[in-house]
Amino acid sequence: MIKLNVNGQAKEVDADPATPILWVVRENLNMPGTKFGCGIAQCGACTIHLDGQPVRSCSTPISAAEGKSVTTIEGIAGEDGTLHKVQQAWIEAQVPQCGYCQSGQIMSATALLEKNPRPTDAQIDEAMAGNVCRCGMYGRIRTAIKAAAGIEQPAKVEA
Amino acid sequence: MGKWSRRAFIGAGVAAGGALVVGVAVRQGNPIDKLSPLLTNGENEQLLNAWVKVDTDNIVTAVIPHVEMGQGVYTALAQMLADEMDADWNKVRILEAPADMQYVSDSIARDFLAPDLQVPAWFEPTVAGGILELAQAMGLQFTGGSYSVRATGQRAMRTAGAAAREMLVAAAASEWQVPASEIATADSMISHAKSGKSEPFAKFALAAAEQSLPAKPKLKSPENYKIMGQPMARHDIPAKVDGSAVFGIDADVPGMKYAAVKAPPVIGATVESMDASTAKTMPGVLQILNMGDFVAVVADGYWQAQQALNSINAQYSKTEADDLDLDAIFARYATSLDEAGEDGGDMQTEAGDVAKSFAGAATKVEAEYKVPFLAHATMEPMNCTAWVRDGKCDVWSGHQAPVNARQTAADAAGLAFEDVTYHNAYLGGGFGRRSTSDYITMATRIASATGYPVKMIWSREEDTAQDHYRPSATSRFRGGLDKDGKAVSWNNIHTHLFDPADAPTIPYYNIASHKIRKVDVPMHLRFGPWRSVDHSQHGFFIESFVDEMADAAGKDGYAFRQELLAESPRHLKVLDTAARMSGWGSALPEKHGRGIAFVPSFGSIVAQVAEVDMSGAKPKVTKVFVAADPGFVINPDGFTAQMESAIVYGLTAALYGEITIKGGSVQQSNFHDYPMLRIDEMPEVEVILINGDHERLGGGGEPGLPPIAPAVTNAIFAATGTRIRELPLSKHSFA
Amino acid sequence: MTTVRKLACLSVFLLAACGADPAPGPVEQIIVREPGAAPAVTLATADANADDPASALLAEGKAAFANCSACHSLEKGAPNGAGPNLFGIVGAAAAAVPGFSYSDALKGSGITWTAAELDSFIANPAAKVPGTTMVAGAIADPAKRQAVTAYIESVTAN
Repeated sequence: MIKLNVNGQAKEVDADPATPILWVVRENLNMPGTKFGCGIAQCGACTIHLDGQPVRSCSTPISAAEGKSVTTIEGIAGEDGTLHKVQQAWIEAQVPQCGYCQSGQIMSATALLEKNPRPTDAQIDEAMAGNVCRCGMYGRIRTAIKAAAGIEQPAKVEA
Repeated sequence: MGKWSRRAFIGAGVAAGGALVVGVAVRQGNPIDKLSPLLTNGENEQLLNAWVKVDTDNIVTAVIPHVEMGQGVYTALAQMLADEMDADWNKVRILEAPADMQYVSDSIARDFLAPDLQVPAWFEPTVAGGILELAQAMGLQFTGGSYSVRATGQRAMRTAGAAAREMLVAAAASEWQVPASEIATADSMISHAKSGKSEPFAKFALAAAEQSLPAKPKLKSPENYKIMGQPMARHDIPAKVDGSAVFGIDADVPGMKYAAVKAPPVIGATVESMDASTAKTMPGVLQILNMGDFVAVVADGYWQAQQALNSINAQYSKTEADDLDLDAIFARYATSLDEAGEDGGDMQTEAGDVAKSFAGAATKVEAEYKVPFLAHATMEPMNCTAWVRDGKCDVWSGHQAPVNARQTAADAAGLAFEDVTYHNAYLGGGFGRRSTSDYITMATRIASATGYPVKMIWSREEDTAQDHYRPSATSRFRGGLDKDGKAVSWNNIHTHLFDPADAPTIPYYNIASHKIRKVDVPMHLRFGPWRSVDHSQHGFFIESFVDEMADAAGKDGYAFRQELLAESPRHLKVLDTAARMSGWGSALPEKHGRGIAFVPSFGSIVAQVAEVDMSGAKPKVTKVFVAADPGFVINPDGFTAQMESAIVYGLTAALYGEITIKGGSVQQSNFHDYPMLRIDEMPEVEVILINGDHERLGGGGEPGLPPIAPAVTNAIFAATGTRIRELPLSKHSFA
Repeated sequence: MTTVRKLACLSVFLLAACGADPAPGPVEQIIVREPGAAPAVTLATADANADDPASALLAEGKAAFANCSACHSLEKGAPNGAGPNLFGIVGAAAAAVPGFSYSDALKGSGITWTAAELDSFIANPAAKVPGTTMVAGAIADPAKRQAVTAYIESVTAN
């Protein structure tokens, strides 16, 4: 049995310690919001927080989470269900298309803003370059991160 | 009217403009019994027809016969229906149609099968009825070809909304004993000004269902649109920011186990034997299957299944492709093109005497271009969950053609269509990959063997190596210019691609004499549609060669295209808009360049100007200016997002995309060797949309893609003088 | 209780022409156990006595390296993955691990992997060596980088 804390709740899971956190979260804990994309930490779809740090859960064994706090996309809204400011900005900027990568994008973005409340473009690039969006919504991701950070942006050109 | 088969009659439920659409009216004698349980929650809901329902709390639900894969189709189609119906947008809900034959998209089948069909109005019903039969046979309830809005939306959703509205009005007129012409509708309310009566739609839903269907419901003209043309927020987005959106890979079936699969690296080979001695002893393993054409491991968890699969040593049969390398494939293309000579191959379009116009040209231009195989690389790898038991089968997946998926599962399980229930989920990217059904077949076969529900997930490595690829191609051009630098001769021959047939043609460019041919080259790889299909290759070929002709004529690429489009004002406006947005002609920093490209596709006209910075070791695309005319834009923000998305998809391919073949096998496996564009390489994208013809709508999902590669390579030429004739750009050194 | 069913080997896989005939079933089906049955094999026990790193820093580095291990092995003699084996990397010249196909950029970088060089590379690989194929795995947090670098170095030293 591996003991860990997931989204504020104490959990015990019966899994091979080498099992990536991704599959424990999805299959053992039945929280499918965290997605499988590549299995080798190249795409970021599986990003979660381990003690507040963003990690690629497809390549991090559950043994590394023993006794630690895991936060997934299901755990970032407020207890009353109020969406995280990053989630709200994501809706406002109409970021997702297919939506499959977005759990990971949002987890990377929330970790970034936690550490750096007013990131520069270069810092956004650095924090978000590990997350692939095949629908190509990078421009909107940047817009949404800045909006969540309260950074003023030039108005969009209207047709 | 001719003689109607029962099925054709069902298909002829709603009519507009003489063209029939698939819709089922709730009237005596119509087989709504079968559909009602699939769509309604209880006795309090009434189906007006199969595209729309109104329930007792006045919620209008639009039933969408397409799948959502990020293109925003749920929202755009609902906007079309709700606007015609005068529904309150805040009270509109959206439901994806069940995978049932009654939802096959007649309008799509019609555009695929008979796009130029012109027949007298009285004859239309039978023609459409016939096409409906064909559509059903083909299992089309299909999302692709950028067809949803321009075909289903324009012909079916709007008509259904207008018909529903007229039926509601007729019911109210009857109850209130007033002329229908005095009744107004707005925000899901029906009112009669003279008597001061006003009631919600729901009040008349039952009575409306008893009304006869209007023969030709009146559609709004654009000045009366209230919801169409507005940037409505997408309905599917909230669930996509909190992890609650359910994709195919998230299917949750009680007792479900997990399968990992591996097919022979050379497509077409079979599994001759497997050594599973280690796999048998590994934790969680339930079954190990040699399915003949692939190996599967079923385990308690997916990771356990994949680990066990990795330990299996399989032997594969020899195939004719075992010694085939990429160079040999392109050599085959060259040989086939050589053999076709001046008159071989299949003629696609011809006008004038190309040999003569070329011989008499003052300036002659020749060029050959090559593009690589490409994988789709959807973020969600292929997956499917199946449960086959007691003569029934349930299948959960994300597929672009649910009816086809259902039939595929039925075939794989040896069951009738009726015995299969297909549950479609959100698609974690489609791009054409999820229009093929190989993964449905595989999961159903595994589940048939186990008897219990199994979720099959492909590894990224499997997804990359076993795709239905975008074909590689070689295209050769010969062009002629007269003494004034005007294009007079266009001769193209290319290796055969896929679809649509108009992709290599240039009817919008005024070049008097042209000849366009293709040659077929057999290949062991499997091909599939890839976002914008053949336009992705031909857009690059054509717009590169146009630029080369412009250069040979001593003109700039924009001015040269202006001349070619001089007689097509709608096209010219799009080109001019993109050029103006980019500040075409203004000075740029050293080693920067601008390139323009123009490609109409899927009914929409798109021009793009790309700016590149060539001061580094590799090209950096800094800005892309897009002008697009899809006729009328139903949802401007959604359409803009599609342009941004298509640019990234196309730019990723132009910069990096290449699937290579060695010993018959695909060499790429994951994102480290099949790289993706990332946020740090994202150009600024500016989009202007033009409503050029509200009666002829174009698509949105694909037309933004074809211009980007040539816009970038033309910009590289402008910056460096280097002409790129082969993609991807990562093959070239710019140091 | 492993069951093996050998089935008639089909040399040609014909698609079912109608709904009546199912697609080909397994050529070979090894049933290790039924769902719900006790595992036929003993689960490998977790390595409960894994060496405790001497310091908290190394423990943190070891945990953080889990994210790197998708591509890099740190075990002497283990094969290269998507990235090269990193055993003994500290102090070595860049692009020198045998058998790994390096980018031209890294080959030409002239870097010697001191802890400081590793640190700045891991912070942002593409900025340090434009053109590197290491597109993922950057660690922005300086403390975490230091821990990972210390851990990599400590493994070599042992």
